[in-house]
Parts: sequence; structure tokens; C-alpha cells
Amino acid sequence: LKAVESEADEWLAIEAAQQDPTRFAELYEKNFDRVYGFIAHRVLNREAAQDLTAEVFHQALSSLGSFEWRGTPFIAWLLGIAGNVLSGHWQRLVKHPEVSAGDLELASTDDQIERRAIIFQLVDGLPPDQRNVILRRFVEQRSIREIAQELGRSEGAIKQLQLWALQNLRMRLRSDYA
Amino acid sequence: MRNFAMADQLDRTIEILIANPRLTGRGADQELDELARIAGELRIMRSPEFKAHLKADLMERAQTMLRAAARVALAPPKPENPTIFSRAGRERKPGSLPTLFGESYAGYPAQGRNFVASFLIQAAVIAVLVSSGLVLGYHPRLKPPVVSLILPRDYAGEARGGGGGGDADKLPAAKGNPPRFSSEQLVPPAVVVRNPDPKLSAEATVVGPPSLIFPQTPMGDPLPGVLAPSNGPGNGGGIGNGADGGVGGGHGPGVGPGEGGGFGDRIYRVGGSVGAPRAIYDPEPEYSDEARKAKHQGAAVLSVIVDSDGRTRDIRVVRSLGMGLDEKAVEAVRNWRFAPATKDGRPVAVLVHIEVDFRLY
Repeated sequence: LKAVESEADEWLAIEAAQQDPTRFAELYEKNFDRVYGFIAHRVLNREAAQDLTAEVFHQALSSLGSFEWRGTPFIAWLLGIAGNVLSGHWQRLVKHPEVSAGDLELASTDDQIERRAIIFQLVDGLPPDQRNVILRRFVEQRSIREIAQELGRSEGAIKQLQLWALQNLRMRLRSDYA
Repeated sequence: MRNFAMADQLDRTIEILIANPRLTGRGADQELDELARIAGELRIMRSPEFKAHLKADLMERAQTMLRAAARVALAPPKPENPTIFSRAGRERKPGSLPTLFGESYAGYPAQGRNFVASFLIQAAVIAVLVSSGLVLGYHPRLKPPVVSLILPRDYAGEARGGGGGGDADKLPAAKGNPPRFSSEQLVPPAVVVRNPDPKLSAEATVVGPPSLIFPQTPMGDPLPGVLAPSNGPGNGGGIGNGADGGVGGGHGPGVGPGEGGGFGDRIYRVGGSVGAPRAIYDPEPEYSDEARKAKHQGAAVLSVIVDSDGRTRDIRVVRSLGMGLDEKAVEAVRNWRFAPATKDGRPVAVLVHIEVDFRLY
């Protein structure tokens, strides 16, 4: 019953966004991390992943009027666009083969996408000092020494905050993902 | 202490994971293994401000789409969107204008600035095409030719028309005027009538334009002659020293030094008592293709006799222009018509030079 209600809510959100494009924000918030996680896992480059994610959502907003509800989740439609965007990206790079239909099928049901999306969302909910360390360490890819100097803490304290942050994420992930 | 050791060990694992993006996180024990896996996912985490920035971009674009849709809704109703019918006339495909307003499958709204820029670029391209067409397809227009009548410096005039007669009289022909002109001659003129009682009587005439009328004076030769009655030393009837029933020194039933009938006269030059002919129909000559392509221009001079009836004849090129322009000038002048030159009130043929000026604008 909950799934049916969720589908109905999603369809209402899509219809609302088709009538009023500013309502696309709701769909964006709900699906952003999944799309980003899907793309980031394949390009393994943050800048490229962000650019491609932006392209996906811009295309989605432009084409929203043509979206037809066929019982599949909205995220599947978004990941279809993401697959096309990735395909174009790789063709431009001429380094990787095109995404096969099988890859896209797998990707649309890949639990890792959901898990990754949840992890990214959980980072936002970490205590500020832990979140600061995670962002500097993983997004900005600073060393422990650089972070310690920047925050005026010892290297040991920063390592400790990093550990606590990851433990915190593991605990929240277990409760959310279970 | 265990926490410090775990923190150190975890950090070394994270260091390796960051240096090798394709490695999957693994730890020595279960807890460390789970933490390393999470750390592996975090390597590609988005920057914190990216999500908010992208959302702001999307909302701005959504507002643009909303405004575009509102403009379309407020616009006066149109009959229908333009449609394209298939050859079979069954299928309808959407036209291009809905795309312009962001309504079609393309989905993206037209930017006003882009539309204006596109319009300006297309207008510039059309202007370039039109101007280049004008340059490439340049057809020089012909300036109306300047026609000048020039007195010929020398001309060995020749007689045309005319006639002559006489009946072997010893005296020159008597001075006088010929009889009236007629289109045919039944009886030749005579000053001395040799058969005063003919079985069939008819008026004596000479062959020529009936409109030409001589003053009614005693019959004779208009050229200087004697006052005594004489038909002149010619032969074949008529008056004068010519032959064949006319009047004068020519041959034929006409009057004057020529032959074949009509009023034979000399070719005069304009000046003195001879007035110039006046063009009354003078269509412009055409420009030859060769001269037009070469943008050749100048003046051709033609020698033309304007006859007493106003027609042109004996056209000769005195100063050639070449490139087909001489021929074009002759072709045009041949069809010109003049009010003939006159001498003592009588139309006469004159020799004139006509300058035809070919100019390009």
C-alpha cells in the first residue's frame, strides 16, 4: 500500500511539474543523489560527474512535458537520460565503449545507486566538525596534515573525527538501509 | 588506544583509496572493512554547494519556461499551429513554430535574444545574397543615343527616279512643267502634238506620286530649256533629251535625270535653301551583348540618305565602334522615319551623318 501511495505521490509530483516547471524542484531533491551516484560511479571523476549530472537534469526539465507515466519509477527515466548523457560523454572521450542496454538495465536496478545516494545524503546530517573533515578529506581531497592546520587541530584529532564520521555514517546507513 | 590505532589504520586505507580511485575499500576486520567501503563511496561525493547551485540553475530555467508559456497563453488566439501534411495527406506532423515557443517535443524555450540574433543574421545573409545578385546580374542600361545630323563633307550624289523623253526634235525641249503625276501613264506628255486627232483621247501624265503637284504652267521640261515649242531631242515620246515617254534627260515615264518613273532628283546637302530632315520616329538601338559584357561604349557615325519620303537608305558606317554596336546602330536607323528635308518648299533627299552615342549608366 505504501508503494502504491509513493507511486501516486510521484505521479502527482510529475504532473505538477509538467504544469508548472518550478515544481520540478521536488523531483530534483528526491532523485539528485541517485543520478549523481549513478554517474559518479562510472566516470570516477567529480568534476565530470557534476557536469554530466547537471546535463541530465537540464535535459529532464526540458523534456518533462513528453514524460508519460507507464508504471516505471521516475528515476528509471532519469537514469535513461543519464545513460544517454554518459554515452555521449564517452564518445567524446573516445576512451570507453558506449553504455550497453544491459548496463542500463543493471544500473536501473543497482542497489549500489541507492546505497550511494543515501550515504551522500547522510553526510549532510553529520555533526558540523565531522562533516567538515569528511568534505575536506574526500571532496577537496586534502591530507590530514592540511586539514589539521586549516582547522587548528592536531592530526590525531582530525583522524579521530574522520573515524567517528565514518562510524556515524555506517550506523545511520544501517538504520536507513535496513 | 584501540580507537587511535583504528583511526590510523583507517586513514592509511583512505589514503590508498584516494590515490587509486578504482580500488574498492577493504579493511582488516569487519568494522574496518565496512568503514573502508563507505570511504570508497565518499571519494566521488559531490561538492556540498553543487547540488544547491544546480537547483538554483534549474529553477531559474523553470521560471523562464513558465514566463514563455504565459506569453504564449496571453497571445491572441491563432487559427492553428502550422502543420505539415504527408504526401498521402493522412499524417500530421507538428510544425516548427511550436518549437520556437517551447511547446513541442524539443521542450526547450526559445530565448528572446537568440531569436533576435537569428533574425538579424538571416536578414544580413539575405541582404548579402540580394546585393551579390545585383552585382553579378548587373545589366547596364543604355543611355538614350545622341543623334547628331552632320553635314557630309563630300558626296558624289546620284540621281534616283525620273524619266526622259523626246521625239528626236532638233531643238532642246521647251521650258515648262511636266503634266500631273499618275500611277500609270496612258499618253506621254508632248509640247508638240504630232497626232492632233487621235481615235482615243487621254490625258497626258507622267508616272510618279499623285500627291506631287507642279505649278500649272505651259508643259515642258523644268530644266533650262528653250522657249520655242519642242519635244526635245530624245526618243520614245515625252519631253526632253531622255527616252521612254517621260520628261527630262532620264529614262522612263517619270520626270528628271533618273530612270524608272517618279521625280528624279539629286541628293542635296543640308544648308542654304535645303532644310534638315527631322526625326519623327527614332527607336533606340539595342546594346550588343558583347559590348555590354565588355562595358564598351562610344559613338558610331553613320552616313544616311534621308529620302524625300522620310525613309532612310544607303546607310554606311563612317566611324566604327565595333563589338556589334555598328550593326545595332544601322539596324535601328534603318527603321527611323523623318520629316523630309525641303528645298524651296519641296521635299528632297539629303545626305546626313547620324552619330549614335552608346553610353552605359
